Amino acid sequence: MSRILQLSLRHINSVTKYPNQATNELLKNCARANSNKTRTNSDDLFQEFTDWETLNKKKTVSKAMKAYLERAREHDDFMKKQEFEFTVGKRHLANMMGEDPETFTQKDVDRAIEYLFPSGIYDPAARPLMKPPEEVFPARKAAEFDEAGRPHHFLFYTGRPNFFKLLYDASEHIQNIYKFEDKVIRKKAIPDPNAKLELTSSVWYSKEELEQHLVENITELEYENFKLVMERLVSLPYSYRSKEFIEKVRKPIASQKFALEIPKPSYDEEGREYITTYECLRKKARGDVTIRSPGSGKITINGKDITYFADTQSREQVTFPLLFTGMEDRVDVECNIEGGGPSGQAGAIRWGIAWGLRSFVDKSMIDSMQVAGLLTRDPRKRERKKPGQPGARKKPTWKRR
Amino acid sequence: MLSRNLRIACRRYSQSVTTFRTSEISPAQQNSNQIGLFYTLDNDLCKQLYGHGGLPKCFLKQTKTFTETTFMIRQPALEIIECIKATDFNKPAIRYVLHGEEGTGKSMTIAHLLHYAHQEGFLIIHVPWVSNWLRRVSRYKEMANSLTKEGFVDIPLDAAAWLLHFKTQNQHLLKSGELKVSKDYEWSKREKTPAGSTLLELIEHGIVRVKYACDVVDTLLHEVKLLSNTKQCKTFVAIDGYNGFFNPLTNLHTPTKKKVAPEEVTLTASFLELTKNDWTNGVMLLSTDAIAHPEYEQESYLPKYLLYRKGFDHIDPFVPIEVSNYTEKEFMTCASYYRDRLWLRGSPDIEKELKITSAHNPYRFMELCAPL
Repeated sequence: MSRILQLSLRHINSVTKYPNQATNELLKNCARANSNKTRTNSDDLFQEFTDWETLNKKKTVSKAMKAYLERAREHDDFMKKQEFEFTVGKRHLANMMGEDPETFTQKDVDRAIEYLFPSGIYDPAARPLMKPPEEVFPARKAAEFDEAGRPHHFLFYTGRPNFFKLLYDASEHIQNIYKFEDKVIRKKAIPDPNAKLELTSSVWYSKEELEQHLVENITELEYENFKLVMERLVSLPYSYRSKEFIEKVRKPIASQKFALEIPKPSYDEEGREYITTYECLRKKARGDVTIRSPGSGKITINGKDITYFADTQSREQVTFPLLFTGMEDRVDVECNIEGGGPSGQAGAIRWGIAWGLRSFVDKSMIDSMQVAGLLTRDPRKRERKKPGQPGARKKPTWKRR
Repeated sequence: MLSRNLRIACRRYSQSVTTFRTSEISPAQQNSNQIGLFYTLDNDLCKQLYGHGGLPKCFLKQTKTFTETTFMIRQPALEIIECIKATDFNKPAIRYVLHGEEGTGKSMTIAHLLHYAHQEGFLIIHVPWVSNWLRRVSRYKEMANSLTKEGFVDIPLDAAAWLLHFKTQNQHLLKSGELKVSKDYEWSKREKTPAGSTLLELIEHGIVRVKYACDVVDTLLHEVKLLSNTKQCKTFVAIDGYNGFFNPLTNLHTPTKKKVAPEEVTLTASFLELTKNDWTNGVMLLSTDAIAHPEYEQESYLPKYLLYRKGFDHIDPFVPIEVSNYTEKEFMTCASYYRDRLWLRGSPDIEKELKITSAHNPYRFMELCAPL
């Protein structure tokens, strides 16, 4: 058992490049002992890598090529090993968790790791993980030239073949579109307005994302050029013909969620519409807010009216979303709130009321609520005190001596 | 400058058209049609009735700002006036207990009814705020062991101040000299008040000889009771913060640093004796206030909680009158009155916000308007 744990731990850390031989032997045995299917799987994977033996048989090999081949082989071996260890480790993990190794997916792996190695580290990227080696180790370019030292790619000597190929293709697309446009004009046809390219739901890759996509480092200026060319391509009236090419370097926007997910109010026994917002949080306060429409502007907080809050500021906080939307005498509000102090509770209720009111106001009002900051959570929390100083940030008084 | 004055005058005039004032300045004539309206008090009368306390301090400040003293006619005051009008004065005096949340206007109701009592010719016995005697310990607070009652404590300066207050409030009745002392009172070898001397002489003695002030108060209250019983005068007793008499302890302490309980103070004994209903031809108006309660956060504002068991038993058959927050109408007239006084400015939407934020509480509303 300890061996297994050690094994999975190594995978988790993914730092050991050259594991010791003994463990390797054990792994091989394990793999053999497990099932034939796994072995065939890994064999398939191995065949994806370059066949070095046949390549090495050729006699005329440049020195640069030799060095490259050496490095590439090392890398391939390493990846092979990692891949193998990962598959075996995954099977062990599945057995440890008492699940079927055959149907153990990456999702299950993540769950198991979170269960076995609970971590309170703030940054998710720093927590223990067990991922396939392709995800953990950055991709490397395959051989760019043959044994004789002749590059495969026609833009090899630009230094960034993939990037310049992208620009080259873009310009080719532009030329094609021009030609098509000429043809259309000659035929005296009008462009179809419905076939326009829809670009609002996605954005261009950022510089880092593009670098990852191309497996090449590019400069700031080159990224600007890329954007310039792509914008030009998009601005053409028939750009929808190159849709596939354009989509390749764009990524969809995942936000704009809140506007789509406004829940429909349900009806209570009196036939009034109501909506309950749970998890209204601010500072240490937690609670839920129910809004009923039609109402008379009655506010109930933990069974009391607005006098629950003694200070004016808290009262203003609670009433602000109602006054802002002009719903103060058209809805009833009921809140249950606990924890924290008056300002935290008032802030939580404010957010809850604003969030619930989305179901009762129109689209433009929701937008202005968004602009007013009513729909934004306030994530600020009390900052912990640090040892060696009197407060969270406060330092001891400086004294010369 | 002229145009600005003209503009203000125009606005004043145009606003005065909306009814938030009533010309009915006699409380006895006011009726339920005038609920929520303001009436103005004469300045001299104001000085006479409330010169030595009787109006809350914040309201006093406001009257200075507004350069007039106005009271809003509200339901509880009218209710009590109706009751007093219908009372048979041959029966033992009825006790009315005002209760309500903080800042709803209990003291203002008492002030309004004092005006009524003054107009109706009642002899007024008014205690502006009981806790001034028992809880506020100022630098000049003087305490002495009582000469006449064993184990009791005197607060002679407060008693003398109250006698002055009593004298000012009832100067018309006292000057006529019809109210006479029933028997001889001997204060010391040389000082005595013979039977048949006026109440005014008794009071003057208390004010001049501060040493005997507490005993004078005791005697005075006793004499007033007798006078009322014999129908020579009718008496109106108003005590604000009455539950202060029943708190477990006061802030006073004897020279030996012993804490004093309220029942060990001579004034308490006198006024508790007064508020028994063993006399006729009188009205007693008491208020119980959460602010006079010793605990910082009160659970309730109801008399039973604030008076404790003994206080509740002491005044047991009483008429509870609740003073509540502004109604919608009262709030709007108050807001237009503030606008008239330029105390409240800005767009009309402000009222809506203030209404929710103040939760219709009069004191809260006044406070919120102050910086506007």
